[in-house]
Amino acid sequence: MILIPCPWCGPRDAGEFHYSGETTPRPDAASATPAQWRDYLYFPANPRGEVTETWYHRMGCRQFFVLQRDTDTNESIPPGRPQ
Amino acid sequence: MLAVHEFVRLVPGRNAVAAVRAPSHPRRRRPPKYGALALLRHGLSGRPWPRAWADQPLRDSYDVVIIGGGVHGLAAAYYLAVNHGITDVAVLDKGYIGSGGSGRNTAILRSNYLTPEGVRFYDRSMQLYRTLAADLDYNVMFSRRGHLTLAHNDSSLRTMRWRAEVNQMQGIDSEVIDPAEIKRLVPYLDTSAETRYPILGALYHPPGGIIRHDAVVWGYARAAAAQGVHIHSGTEVTGIDTDGGKVRGVRTTKGDIATPVVLNATAGWSTLVAAMAGVRLPIQTFPLQAAVTEPVRPFLHAVVVSGTLHVYVSQTDRGELVFGASVDPFASYSTRGTLEFAEGLATHVIELMPALSKVRLLRQWSGLCDMTPDFSPIMGGTPVEGFYVDVGWGTYGFKAGPVSGEAMARCIADGRAPEIIEAFGLGRFGAGELVGEKGAAAVGH
Amino acid sequence: MRLGPQPGEEIDRKRPFSFRWNGDSVPAFDGDTIASALAASGLRVFSRSYKYHRPRGLLTANFHDPGCFFQVGDEPNVRGAHRLAEPAMDVRAQNTWPSLGFDVKAVNQLAGRFLGPGFYYKTFIKPQRLWPLYERVLQRFVHAGQVSPDTPRTAVDKRFAHPDVLVAGGGPAGMAAAVAAAQAGARVMLVEEEYRLGGHLRWGGEADLAALAELRDQVAATPGIEVLTNAVVAGRYDGNWTAVVRRDLPGGAEQLIKARAKVLVVAPGLIERPYVFAGNDVPGVMLSTAVRRLIGLHAVKPGERAVVLTANADGDAAVADLVQAGVDVARVLDARAGQGIVRVRGHGVGQHRGVRAVEAADGTTTECDLLVTATGWTAPAALLSMAGDRPAYDPRAARFFPRHLPDDVLATGGIAGDGSHEELIAHAGAVGREAARRAARIRRERQAAVPTRAQANGAERSGDDAGPTAIPELPVDAHPELFRASTHGIVDFCEDVSSKDIFSAVREGYDSIELAKRYTTATMGPTQGKIELVNAIAAAAEATGQSIGETGTTTWRPPYAPVTLGALAGRPLEPVRYSPMQPWHEAHHARPLIAGAWIRPDHYGDPAAEVRNVRSKVGIIDVTPIGKLDLRGPDVPRLLNLVYVNKWSKLGLGRVRYGVMCAEDGVVFDDGVTGRLGPEHYLMSTTSSGAAAVWEWLENVLQTMHPDWAVHVTPVTTAYASMNVAGPASRDLLLRVTEDVDLANEAFGYMEVRTGRIAGVDGCVLWRIGFTGELSYELHVPAGYGLHVWETLMDRGADLGVAPFGVEAQRILRLEKGHLIVGQDTDGLTRGFSAGLDWAIKLDKDDFLGKPELAWQHDAAPGMQLVGLQPEDGSVVPPEASQIVDGPRIAGRITSSRMSPTLGRSICLGQVSASLAAPGTLVTVRLPGGRLIGARVTEHLAHVDPEGSRMRV
Repeated sequence: MILIPCPWCGPRDAGEFHYSGETTPRPDAASATPAQWRDYLYFPANPRGEVTETWYHRMGCRQFFVLQRDTDTNESIPPGRPQ
Repeated sequence: MLAVHEFVRLVPGRNAVAAVRAPSHPRRRRPPKYGALALLRHGLSGRPWPRAWADQPLRDSYDVVIIGGGVHGLAAAYYLAVNHGITDVAVLDKGYIGSGGSGRNTAILRSNYLTPEGVRFYDRSMQLYRTLAADLDYNVMFSRRGHLTLAHNDSSLRTMRWRAEVNQMQGIDSEVIDPAEIKRLVPYLDTSAETRYPILGALYHPPGGIIRHDAVVWGYARAAAAQGVHIHSGTEVTGIDTDGGKVRGVRTTKGDIATPVVLNATAGWSTLVAAMAGVRLPIQTFPLQAAVTEPVRPFLHAVVVSGTLHVYVSQTDRGELVFGASVDPFASYSTRGTLEFAEGLATHVIELMPALSKVRLLRQWSGLCDMTPDFSPIMGGTPVEGFYVDVGWGTYGFKAGPVSGEAMARCIADGRAPEIIEAFGLGRFGAGELVGEKGAAAVGH
Repeated sequence: MRLGPQPGEEIDRKRPFSFRWNGDSVPAFDGDTIASALAASGLRVFSRSYKYHRPRGLLTANFHDPGCFFQVGDEPNVRGAHRLAEPAMDVRAQNTWPSLGFDVKAVNQLAGRFLGPGFYYKTFIKPQRLWPLYERVLQRFVHAGQVSPDTPRTAVDKRFAHPDVLVAGGGPAGMAAAVAAAQAGARVMLVEEEYRLGGHLRWGGEADLAALAELRDQVAATPGIEVLTNAVVAGRYDGNWTAVVRRDLPGGAEQLIKARAKVLVVAPGLIERPYVFAGNDVPGVMLSTAVRRLIGLHAVKPGERAVVLTANADGDAAVADLVQAGVDVARVLDARAGQGIVRVRGHGVGQHRGVRAVEAADGTTTECDLLVTATGWTAPAALLSMAGDRPAYDPRAARFFPRHLPDDVLATGGIAGDGSHEELIAHAGAVGREAARRAARIRRERQAAVPTRAQANGAERSGDDAGPTAIPELPVDAHPELFRASTHGIVDFCEDVSSKDIFSAVREGYDSIELAKRYTTATMGPTQGKIELVNAIAAAAEATGQSIGETGTTTWRPPYAPVTLGALAGRPLEPVRYSPMQPWHEAHHARPLIAGAWIRPDHYGDPAAEVRNVRSKVGIIDVTPIGKLDLRGPDVPRLLNLVYVNKWSKLGLGRVRYGVMCAEDGVVFDDGVTGRLGPEHYLMSTTSSGAAAVWEWLENVLQTMHPDWAVHVTPVTTAYASMNVAGPASRDLLLRVTEDVDLANEAFGYMEVRTGRIAGVDGCVLWRIGFTGELSYELHVPAGYGLHVWETLMDRGADLGVAPFGVEAQRILRLEKGHLIVGQDTDGLTRGFSAGLDWAIKLDKDDFLGKPELAWQHDAAPGMQLVGLQPEDGSVVPPEASQIVDGPRIAGRITSSRMSPTLGRSICLGQVSASLAAPGTLVTVRLPGGRLIGARVTEHLAHVDPEGSRMRV
């Protein structure tokens, strides 16, 4: 599969990771309206192109990190930049 | 062209729509007839067959513009014409018709869903599929094979029983059968207790089967075109113009079109198209892969699905085995495919049918799926008047083509969502009322 | 007929043997392919085509030959012109009934004019009920081999490889590139489809053979090159993740090698293309490479009297080879001089069908039994397309060329251009050096991306300061555009699609190459488009009036060559997990239950007796699969408060609490108990299937939401063997084996936790929880001592009536107590308030995960509710998932159901609409089959001891 640049372990096969989805800012649970909360839960940006997302290195260092990837080419932008 | 347009505004809410009224007595036109006699005539005379659908120039306005020339879009166009007499319709596709999900799916048809609404919906589609060849005068090759969903643990078996109960109450032929009966239906299946995940039982749905997916697209295109619908391939929509919360037109690579009604029937790119109209959708795009082997002598009659092993298999009349599994593990717009898919598939197929080690994979491909939070589609109006959606079809869109087209045609003609799709409205996410098929969607095929 | 020794022949005449063809014995030499041996013995008709069942002979005499698909033993669709013959091989023709010679389905040919492309779309429409019959007839026509139900399962281990440079193609360019790359320091893998390196040099003239020997010697002498022959690069995926398939294992087995190549060099050569004309599939029509292979590699005379249509140097060389082999070359038609052919006339039927004469474009007819065509080349661009390239058509050269390759893919050899042998070698050498340079750079970049390594190694010596290698430009020879004569002929030999079919399809509106392909099925057969795609594009272009460039090409998809499912699957590796007590369970005849990755004891023969024993004496169950997480740090209470719906700030030392976890949408996703072992030390338990997910969930919270919290999470699921000792006599039993823990109820109450020594083992955790509803202690023992502790308990408790109980008994016991199972009594949409967990959900807490949705659920109209149910007829046990109905409407379902040995009647849990959830309500349950029974909603979820007094003694 594609290589995911783990900030600690370097570029590793995507099969070692768990894809956690788009990284969206979590609204303040105490003050969010149902519309805002459900927007956060259910409405991703789903861009064709650069997206910011979270990955978990399940079979490696077991760290969560944020990555920018192009959803068309599947390449990380820029390759290997840790967050 | 229609003489009378009426715009009806509903009680303000999330699903404000506009309606286009049809003349009261639509006249139905049929394409030149196919059939054995026609074959004989053309063979003897050497006369060429007429075009299946005409190549029309792009007009600068239409009553309805449908974005997406797959089975959903073409079926909607067909039913708009035939059921409602609305024929000033353009179907636009950026590629050739059926180049998206409609040309990439594994063509499995069934109606053994988990919820009563789901069952009613997909069964209506099955009804339409059963008579589709005669209705469209195009052999779509619907082959009733029997559909088996295998259960490998008791939790799964429980879900199969749940589905069987719901199905039977709706009059759908669906029952839970034991390993001995499964073996009788599919002798090549390993139903012994020695496998890693022994088969405990299966949900058996005799009316389920497979179909020639391209033929469904072509059949609808031909029949819709005969009614006057314009089909424009190689025409990409680059923008949707709205004014005061209403659709005014679309912009394409071949010219601009003024229209009050736009139906988004794309899959994979649905959020991109919706964004052009300023509408957000709860959809994330994931690739779904499939693969096919070389032809081998027919030995598998039924369609076999395993939720636990995430794999399904059927055999075409040409002898090829067709395989599929679940969506890729991360969101992407790539259709390049992965080796892991082929490996995982082969592992599980051989687990189910060990005799297939020497059969060769010939081709793997990939399509893009709209994944929604509740594994159910999004159909109906949107906050933008005149902008309708028939999206969110995940991995189960092809089997719903006819009923969706029929329902969306009615939705557009009447200006409100018909009962059969009420549960699928876009507004349900804001209301926190997701649909219940999540239980059945282990591998949704 | 077999010729005398040829300079480059690959057969070993000192090793003759025989094999069987359709039951008859056929002689062969070591090195013969199945087809070359058959051809040497005089066979001309090898198979029948798919739709029209026309007799077919050799066309390309290589892997792609469409007339040579054979059944070899239990292996279907063997490529007979590639596969080497072996002694005693059992080869059979495919899809001919009753025999190859006489095939009743050939009557199709007569009906040909009526059976145009897509004829089946136009007919069999009515009456619809006859379609299944039509289908069965169509299925009989399937052109393919047989899958034997007794095919043994292969188990070939896959392999991982990390070549710096992967060279796809072992012809002269591939060899030169591999040598150059290895000499530049790269680790090289060189993959060649045929059995030997060399490509077209192998059947060339003296100079070619000499060049071949030199290149082979260089490859052998250069260290760092792994050579794989009879192997193919089947796919190139994102990140140069490639699938290399070795086909040289016995019995037709294959091995998958997964190679992360830093740089891929594509050097597949060119594939010769057939010419389209009337009669182009009559046995005796062959391509120039076919006759040169037959003569040069296998010393087989391809015919007696030949006509040759040549448009290039290889066609000319074929003429020389034919003459040298004693074939009477009756006529040479040079397409460069404007000469051409119109059609081939055949004679004979079935087995004896063959070429009789060739009609040239100038009107003359020449009698012959062999027509050789050399009309052009197709670039096998599949790997390039998989790398994202969209090759461009060059009308001057009459073929497609690479257009834009990514940085980690290079092309060389015939696919990149033409030129003399020296020019091609020079190009390949430069490409090899450049590939090595880029690979070194990629290696440095990847290592630099690993922070620890970058620090340790400092800046690596950079070896490419010289910059990119200059790669010479290859000349591109002009070649006539020859796709179709003035007549129509077969384009796709496997699918029996003619150029006329493509014209018809286009005329009918299927006018893009993709639509024409799908409508006619051209290129969708087992040859995967390699010998037919360009002819199909040319036909579509002709029919639409567009150029070939405008028509474009279809997308090449992996695999490049067909790969067996066995290779893709590899060796079955499905690990299972057992607890340390498994040997004891097996010895005591436990019936195994597969629970995900775990094998657990379902029961030991009589689950009802096991239930009764727990309620009256004492039982022990192995619950090792329960998820266990060790939590340490000052902020653990804050974590627990966030992930559980209830309150955790004031959990005292030695106390245990039950907790439920909800996702952010309020849906219940796990439950368990957590106990406090020390001031900053907690042990959390989860469901066994949820263990991994909960661990990830906690890490997600700690790393992404609260990195400021000091909490360490350590998974200890398999570090502890866990067992639950349950029943009125459980304390008595534990007193006999436990040290330094006061087990008296006043000292160690319900929902409390202690650590101590059990059966001499230190570091055991004991907590009192009540899943079964009896006095019970759940013990967590360091895993290595699990079996010892279990056996000790069994031994010391014999007189107390101790007996094991399994998962089934536990299910009954917990159901009697109304304890829900997440995922069974709840589903993917069950929010907390629908799961009978109102008492647990503390909406007056600060933020916890799931709170917003739970708060809104609480305020909204109630949806489904989890309730206890008892059928009016206590002897009826409704199957789980039986529907609860309210008239015609479905109002819920039975989620758990068993016969209770304690109460002697059936008991259930179910989800019902809120309107039916009040205790005492009589609901209707629909049993499978349609029978309706009544069941009453119970006061509590628990059917036995609802006050829970038995647990607190």
